[in-house]
Amino acid sequence: MRDKALMSLADLKRGQSGKVVRINTGNPAFRKRLFDMGLTEGVHVKMKRVAPLGDPLNITIRGYELCLRKEDLMHIEVEIGL
Amino acid sequence: MKIALIGNQNSGKSTLFNLLTGSHQKIGNWPGVTVERKVGQLRTTTDELIDLPGIYSLSPYTLEEEITRNYLLNEQVDLILNIIDTTQLERSLYLTTQLLELDIPVLIALNMEDVAIKSGLQIDYQYLEEKLDTTMIRISALKKTGIFELIQTIKQKNYRQNQYKPFFDHFLEKNLGETEKELSGNHRRFYSVKLYEEDPVYEGYLSDQIKAQVKTVKSEYQLDLVQVIADERYRFIEMMRDDAIQSKKDKMTMTDKIDRVILNRFFAIPIFMVIMFTVYYLAAGPVGQFLTEFVEGGVESFSGWFDQILLNAGASSWSRSLVIQGIVTGVGAILAFLPQLIILLILIALLETTGYMNRISFFLDRVFQKAGLSGKSLIPFIIGSGCTVPAIVSTRTIKDESERQMTILLTPFVPCSAKLPIITLFAGYFFPSQAGWISASLYFLAIVVIIFSAFMIKKLFYQSKSSSFILELPPYKLPHFGYLTKDVGRKVWAFIQQAGSIILLASVVVWLFISFSFRLEYGVPIDQSILAGIGKLFSWIFYPFLGTMSWEATVSALQGLVAKEQVVASMAIIGGYSGEVSSGNFIFSSQAFQFFTPASAYAFMVFNLFSAPCFGAIGAMRKELGNAKKMWTAVFFQTGIAWVFATIMFQLIRLIGVII
Repeated sequence: MRDKALMSLADLKRGQSGKVVRINTGNPAFRKRLFDMGLTEGVHVKMKRVAPLGDPLNITIRGYELCLRKEDLMHIEVEIGL
Repeated sequence: MKIALIGNQNSGKSTLFNLLTGSHQKIGNWPGVTVERKVGQLRTTTDELIDLPGIYSLSPYTLEEEITRNYLLNEQVDLILNIIDTTQLERSLYLTTQLLELDIPVLIALNMEDVAIKSGLQIDYQYLEEKLDTTMIRISALKKTGIFELIQTIKQKNYRQNQYKPFFDHFLEKNLGETEKELSGNHRRFYSVKLYEEDPVYEGYLSDQIKAQVKTVKSEYQLDLVQVIADERYRFIEMMRDDAIQSKKDKMTMTDKIDRVILNRFFAIPIFMVIMFTVYYLAAGPVGQFLTEFVEGGVESFSGWFDQILLNAGASSWSRSLVIQGIVTGVGAILAFLPQLIILLILIALLETTGYMNRISFFLDRVFQKAGLSGKSLIPFIIGSGCTVPAIVSTRTIKDESERQMTILLTPFVPCSAKLPIITLFAGYFFPSQAGWISASLYFLAIVVIIFSAFMIKKLFYQSKSSSFILELPPYKLPHFGYLTKDVGRKVWAFIQQAGSIILLASVVVWLFISFSFRLEYGVPIDQSILAGIGKLFSWIFYPFLGTMSWEATVSALQGLVAKEQVVASMAIIGGYSGEVSSGNFIFSSQAFQFFTPASAYAFMVFNLFSAPCFGAIGAMRKELGNAKKMWTAVFFQTGIAWVFATIMFQLIRLIGVII
């Protein structure tokens, strides 16, 4: 079995990908919107790029590009294979 | 039949709407709000097609999305035409699973199917149609394929009627079904789901029995049901995806290739600056100015020719004065800016429709984040360089209320196209060799003013509350020529109509006020006219940045409230009245305005650019801010900022002048 590690989605390196395991976002409306946009537990995400000024981050999920701030991605846990 | 056009943002909805309705479109507003409402007639039918704001889900996140949901629930819609971007099938079907829960048949238009195939997707449509029990028609709004078939299908009602096929987890499905039976009226499945999601909007429907049931289901899953329901939808979609879609992994799309450059860490911001500079350089710089002078020449010859006709027809001197010095001068001064307006509107429409706008939001979000704004505020700002009114309306896509209000207050600082005449007039005369740079400097100053004001407002009114940012980067799209011309054409026509109505009327009023004294004597020296009287009341306000008491400049600036381009119209009328009307810069060689120096010219531009916007925009602010008190605060704040910056710029440039 491969080793797995848990980390926050905000800490993924460019090009790195993982699987979302938990969404701890507090704000209910924002949380609902994350689900609506397809950011659900179990979904595969890839860190596509970082904005030139360091924030926000551009991730790829479900075949499209989504941008979120670091602060919001911090509350999302992902599992990556080592 | 009433058909609602529904789809995600950037799914190609507007283009399809245009193709389906041709020229049979009516554009108005939704009742009570200023969001644009487009209704058209489906080609070759009498069916009504309504273009609704783009949504990702039937749980609205922004005000704009709420309009769409309310429309679907409350109006008698006979058919939902769900447009899907085939290259984003997974996320798009999420909305579809919700639409299918309404008691309205859903017909799917798969847009950009050709692009999806090219990128290596293989899709088993029959399987999807079967699973969702809905008819799918493959189209390309850009290449205009499949449109005829789509219309025929609607016309012949040749589509599936969507028998609801359960897809939720067995336990959830059973409970949803039971609750559905408890409810009455339309869209019971939809409401049932909303009750389990504990959507606060529908709390009123909760009976004690349903409440207890929701609680049981919740404890069974040990998660909040919002998450369970979303998970279930995506699980269903993933299941379909695995069965019906084959894709080649990780193929670089055209969008990826473009973004490698456009969103490059080092190049993104320089490229943005070059693009924006080019936009304003073309519109406000030499190209636009050349075209404007060309039209101005035409207006002048028309004016001379028409004056001769009036003279030959034996018109009295006052009526000739009204027509030539009032109407033709005022309206003509505005119409001369049509070429610049067209250039600017085309370029902004290009930024909007290609998908670049969202990218600007992405890479500049950081700059605005600190000031309590987000990259989303940038969209109104850029639209605002066309016209402030739609820009203020577009703030509806901003979720956070304090961020939205701040954006509304700041948007009028962006020099709108009606302010172009002011910029062109002053920059062209006082800084002839650097006109392009001076124009660009004003846009740059607008950014400074916006950020400065944002920090101030944040400190004064809103405590440090940070908002969230969630934004999709859509694939790049080639602009659709037909849509572009229609969109720009409509705005240009509105500008011409404004010149023919408001500006014309205002010009007549200015002429009356300048021709008559308070004792209603005609033909008095202009400094005894009514206009001069009004101007003298307020001219002290302008003294600190004009360096002189000028009632002429004062009344002209005041007329900016009617429409910003009216400032120029008024100056043309007053200038024409008070001196020799020679060709070229008759305004600044006239007695009324010869006091202008480069310093006061720049300061006067700054004041007119940043002070209270026109009545149209003030009205939009009032509507979107919610009350008159906030509107007044905004208007005084804007005018105050304008005054301070104008005075600073005046003193600064004068100082530089002294030193050099």
